[in-house]
Amino acid sequence: MASGKKQISQLARQFFKLSIVDGRLSEERVAGVLGYLEKHPPAKPLAVLLAYRRLIAGEVAKGLAVVEHAGPVSPAALAAIASAMSARYARPVAAAAKPATGLIAGLRVRVGDDVYESSVSGQLAALSASV
Amino acid sequence: MLSLLLAEITPAAEHTAAAHEAGAQGDGLVHELVTKFGIDGVNVGMQMLSFAILAVVLYIFAIKPVLATMDARNRKIEDGLKNAEATAAKLAETQAAAAVQLKEAQLAANKIIDEARKTSKELSEREAATAIAQAAAIIAKAHQSNELEHKKMLEEARGEIARLVIATTERVLAKKLTDADRASYNEAAARELTSV
Repeated sequence: MASGKKQISQLARQFFKLSIVDGRLSEERVAGVLGYLEKHPPAKPLAVLLAYRRLIAGEVAKGLAVVEHAGPVSPAALAAIASAMSARYARPVAAAAKPATGLIAGLRVRVGDDVYESSVSGQLAALSASV
Repeated sequence: MLSLLLAEITPAAEHTAAAHEAGAQGDGLVHELVTKFGIDGVNVGMQMLSFAILAVVLYIFAIKPVLATMDARNRKIEDGLKNAEATAAKLAETQAAAAVQLKEAQLAANKIIDEARKTSKELSEREAATAIAQAAAIIAKAHQSNELEHKKMLEEARGEIARLVIATTERVLAKKLTDADRASYNEAAARELTSV
């Protein structure tokens, strides 16, 4: 059972490596991998596809900065954030706005697993934790 | 029996003596006395012989056994006295030894009692010290527990107050902040995030 999961994970990683070109995710390679899988389905194709999708989603998330905000946020601010994150991660990072009223005011930026926050609710939470 | 024989013989002897007296009249005062008191030598000799035989017989068959018995009794009495003396000496010796042993036993008993008292006193003091230490430890633990409880209560109260303050602040800010305020705050936040 464990070895089966390990094999699925290894196969998905191999497909994922084939989908990367010059350190970036290639849409053409992803389409090619999916076509190959459609023509030559491996054992347990659904599990392999799910693992592959998880890896692709993680890689896509690395190139996308989700900017949660409470209140209006200007396009210039989003562009500045995208530029700053691209410079930080040395790859193109796009910014996508997502309303989040729970922040009260301010921004929370997610890039992959990294989170950057400057919001009223975050400061109040930090204050609560320090007390 | 012998006496009877001697008594029968005596008249003839007396007759013989009378003849002698008659033949020797005038021989003096002794002769007169012997004659007057009727003392006959043969008769006296026979009486003496009879008495001697009686004495010998009595000595052999009566006095000697009695003396032997008396000697045996005396020896027994002497032995008894000696045994009694030895017994008395032994008794005295035993009593002395018993007195010594009793004295030693008394001394040993006194020593044991003293040691027991000393041990009891030490034990009592040790137990008292232990009880005092335990009581002090219990009191200290109770103080510590009270302090911890008090501290915990204060921390809980402070946390609860902070939670209430923050919740209230969040509600107030959520109601009172305008879009302009939020936009301004967001611009500042964007500058902060891009400058990191």
